[in-house]
Amino acid sequence: MFRSLADWMASTPISLAFQNALWVIPTSQSIHLVAIGIVFGAAVILNLRLLGIGRSTRRVSELFDTLLPWLWGGLTVLLLTGIVQTFAEPARQLKTPHFLWKMVMVLVVAIVTFLFQKSVRRHKAQWDAAAANPAAGKLFALVTLSLWVGIIVCGRMIAYVWERYE
Amino acid sequence: MNAADLLAALESSWLGTYMREAPFGFVPAEIAHILALTLVFGSIAMVDLRLVGVAALRQPVSTLTRELLPITWIAFAVAVLSGSLMFLAKASGYYYAFEFRMKMLLIVLAGVNMIAFHLGPYRSIQNWDAQLAPPREVRIFGLISILIWISVIFFGRFIGFALEMAPPR
Repeated sequence: MFRSLADWMASTPISLAFQNALWVIPTSQSIHLVAIGIVFGAAVILNLRLLGIGRSTRRVSELFDTLLPWLWGGLTVLLLTGIVQTFAEPARQLKTPHFLWKMVMVLVVAIVTFLFQKSVRRHKAQWDAAAANPAAGKLFALVTLSLWVGIIVCGRMIAYVWERYE
Repeated sequence: MNAADLLAALESSWLGTYMREAPFGFVPAEIAHILALTLVFGSIAMVDLRLVGVAALRQPVSTLTRELLPITWIAFAVAVLSGSLMFLAKASGYYYAFEFRMKMLLIVLAGVNMIAFHLGPYRSIQNWDAQLAPPREVRIFGLISILIWISVIFFGRFIGFALEMAPPR
């Protein structure tokens, strides 16, 4: 699907520079992992609270205000390091279906999270006053947690399958 | 039995062979390791950033640790278990790799830092629990902790590039 794009990217000067500097890929992947820690950590803390699992007693709106800026900031770092890694190894990423699935899931989870964040802001009083955990929050938590795990699994699977698709 | 014999025995054990050769050996262990390590780092980072005084300032430190430490310890147990399984697959490769030794050393240092924190400033936590900017000593412990854990992640990722016959990176 993106074969010609991958071949074009591989011939760009920036890609050639990354391919020749052996430290670029492991360094970028390490930063990528640190950022996954922030994003996945924030998502798990938030979603456990929405599911009513664990010890969190924080108000939902407060959790969103505290954690979501870190989630969006971490996601930005993930995007930037992901671009570096894609330029360093275009074939590995763009020719592998797992990469495409990962990108679709990232897009979906970002949109769902953005819309939910807006809704929590708009209905702040109801979210904070709710005695039990609302079903909408539980649904959001299950859907986004599954997506984050799927994104991480697909991301690692690229390393094991990409040579089959080259 | 010296170290080389022990490492060879681990590698050639039933579990070592399974982890190295079975299609559902190394891959799920590594994926579990990543899911766990990101949660270990994420949950510790949230507490450290609060100690340093840059995040979650409306929460007392004790509220955060009570909420997050169960996540940290469960994830740490999964990371140790999955990491041990990965180690069995090529025990000598890991054992002699500089990156692996640095990673283990740094995890020990993180533990020492945590114990020193509990024996030191944590004893007087009631004095600074809800402070927006905790005392300098507390902030330094938080900063050291987050730097150590970031280094653990870097050395961990570089192991995959350093090992000969490495798993796909």
